[in-house]
Amino acid sequence: MKWVLYERLRAATAAGTSCAVVTRLADGAQAFFDGARWEGAVDLTDAQRAAVRRMLVAGRSGMLPGEQDLFVRSYARAPRLIVVGAAHISQFLAPMATLAGFEVIVIDPRRAFASAERFPGVTLVDEWPDTALERLKPDVTTAVVTLTHDPKLDDPALIAALRSPAFYVGALGSTRTHAKRVARLTEAGLGDRVARIHAPVGLDLGGRAPCEIAVSILSQVIQVRYRGEAA
Amino acid sequence: MTEFAADAAGSAGRIYQEAIKALANDATGHGALVAPDGRAFIDNPLCGDCVEMEVNVAGNRIAALAHHVKGCLLCRAAASVIGKRAVGARVEEVEKISTGVSAMLEREAPPPAGWHELSAFAPVHGHRSRYDCVRLPFQALLAALRAAGEQR
Repeated sequence: MKWVLYERLRAATAAGTSCAVVTRLADGAQAFFDGARWEGAVDLTDAQRAAVRRMLVAGRSGMLPGEQDLFVRSYARAPRLIVVGAAHISQFLAPMATLAGFEVIVIDPRRAFASAERFPGVTLVDEWPDTALERLKPDVTTAVVTLTHDPKLDDPALIAALRSPAFYVGALGSTRTHAKRVARLTEAGLGDRVARIHAPVGLDLGGRAPCEIAVSILSQVIQVRYRGEAA
Repeated sequence: MTEFAADAAGSAGRIYQEAIKALANDATGHGALVAPDGRAFIDNPLCGDCVEMEVNVAGNRIAALAHHVKGCLLCRAAASVIGKRAVGARVEEVEKISTGVSAMLEREAPPPAGWHELSAFAPVHGHRSRYDCVRLPFQALLAALRAAGEQR
């Protein structure tokens, strides 16, 4: 491995950023991907890059599907689920996602909601979502879900999430609410990225209780993690 | 974002809504001071709004102020009024205006004299959960002034 790539790999893993190294077996040339940027001596097609990203999101290493010569080594941390809004649904979603293997972080500056009594064993952050996400730096193995019911808090979180390589972005709210949200985010200059938002959030399981919505959100996050956005 | 007035008072409410939006967008006084005499940070744990207020004081008058608000339209608009009106005001005047704002919100008292932009908040009366949105910047200003007083 080239020293420069090794340094990149070391810095990314030290920062807790999931990343991948692609090795061309014929000559040992390598490329490095930190979830956002590529560098190194192997030029991959857009389709190959997308396939590497899918493997990294899923935390899988191995031969790149359909290729004889490209080996992908994923350095993936445990997937993170960042929940914005210490709401009812979050009280179910946080423990469920923890059991499902996610590192869960709940962000809510409304300290009355984001209390340790309501969220035992969960990392709570009472900063504003934009400040918190700037610090937490969602990476390619991070999912961000907004559940505050308040655009004042959801919007800055979505703006930060859409500018990050997060593999999943979801937002609670009806189709009507989401149409207004899309208009605001488009005005904020994110028109080309709003399609990434899963809204209404979650798989359509039919349930309406907070615990059922939590299941539908977690299911969709897992589905996108392994099947990709096309699923 | 905050349609409290529009649904409460029809077209008249919408006029106030526009005034509040304009004040919030002005964000007069937004920023930070180089060497503040007093500083305060206050947040509302129920809605997440937070205000950081910095002041310089000279001879019992506000010589300069700056604020950084993360919050709803009402909170940002109220901070903007402070940015427009509070520089040059005596500490006692700020206390009086702050009391007047509470009276306007809680008891429909006439807006405090002198700071005419505050009349935009009159329709908030009756929306109890929103009173603190308007009051938070005033509380932050008073706290910053107290901090400046303790410095001297």
